[in-house]
Amino acid sequence: MPALRVLLPLLSLQLLTFAQQYIPAWFENLPSAPAGYTLAVGYSGKFNSNLRARNYALNTAFTIMAKQLNIRLLFELEELNDGRLRLLNPTFKQFYEETILNNVKADYGVIDSSITAEGYFILIAYPRLERLNLPDNRDKNWGPRPSWVSGQLPEEKGFVYGLGQVARYRSWVRAWHDADEHARFDIGKNLNIKAESTTTSQRDNRKTIESTVIKQSYDLLLKNVTVVARWFDPATATYYALARAPRQ
Amino acid sequence: MKKLIILALLIPLMLLVFNCGPEKPKAKMGDIPEWYLNPPQAEDAIYQAGDALKMSMALAKDAADARARDAIARTIEVKVSNMMKDFMQQSGMGQEAEALEFTSSVSKQVASTVLKGCKIVKREMKTEGSQFHGYSLAEYNLNTLVQETLNEARKQKALYNEAKANLSFEDLEKEIGKLKEVGKE
Repeated sequence: MPALRVLLPLLSLQLLTFAQQYIPAWFENLPSAPAGYTLAVGYSGKFNSNLRARNYALNTAFTIMAKQLNIRLLFELEELNDGRLRLLNPTFKQFYEETILNNVKADYGVIDSSITAEGYFILIAYPRLERLNLPDNRDKNWGPRPSWVSGQLPEEKGFVYGLGQVARYRSWVRAWHDADEHARFDIGKNLNIKAESTTTSQRDNRKTIESTVIKQSYDLLLKNVTVVARWFDPATATYYALARAPRQ
Repeated sequence: MKKLIILALLIPLMLLVFNCGPEKPKAKMGDIPEWYLNPPQAEDAIYQAGDALKMSMALAKDAADARARDAIARTIEVKVSNMMKDFMQQSGMGQEAEALEFTSSVSKQVASTVLKGCKIVKREMKTEGSQFHGYSLAEYNLNTLVQETLNEARKQKALYNEAKANLSFEDLEKEIGKLKEVGKE
């Protein structure tokens, strides 16, 4: 099958064209903000008009900023397992305030922006900040695999971290959106989660059926939940996001 | 042109018939993380592993994390129960039946309430065919558990004392009632 040997790598290369190869340094690692300010990154895919791409990216940044400042997260996971089938039902709900979103829109400052072959990226500050010396504002390839990708989250006193990871997305914008959301929800799980489980066993002369119900949930109000780092693994087309929040 | 179309239609058909696409990899023992088979042990922490096989990577992660945390919650009830029994034996507290009831109540409360600071310390994601197999290792600090147990024990004791005080008050009321009845006679 020599034809297949040529076709398969070509097909996988085609899949990777939906992924992301080149990004601004502050998209990979969010720089630290001066006291009293918050930074957020917005992104959009390729548009014919750069203005529309910028507007889309800016709106994403506004939403991310509003969620960052104050968010209520409701998570519920239920798993039913009776030995024959397993049903998993996770629920993710989030609420953020429109007044905060409007405040961000009214008083933000653009720190940097970048157009790459794949999209538009924008870094904003709230409240308005005229200038910020960025440690690195180049567009670059993804750096080496960080340790937090494999679950070893950073240990920092007074902070809690969460990891989001998604794969097999056709749109990188959608993939980053979902990875960011999962990272936010992961923080709640690491902070405070209600865990309940019930196991029942039914026995008759011929068989034993064991069924388990797992329920886990939390309802938390979090402030300053920031996606501080992202990483893309081109080998597996996996998107990773790392979120951080102060322990409250 | 016709030949090309026929060829284009035949290739996928041949792939289906002869099944010469990439072979579906199956989970091998070597793929399973060592920490999943033998979770670490420590004096000051509980470790439990969980795994899940799902089509979506995010779901595989969520389910594996949930199963690891669930295993922690189930271990906690046993741990707390043992901790309370040890404490009661050492301090010589309470009568047998009362102490057992108290122990069971505290351990159930701690186990079914919240896991504070229970975190996933290791995670691996493998692909099995078109599915993702997530492995997670959860860690729960025993210092947090001891603190939670102490808080719950204090709460339960306060409830118990309050119930006892209420009971005495009710008894007193009954006695007063009886006295009133006697007075009428």
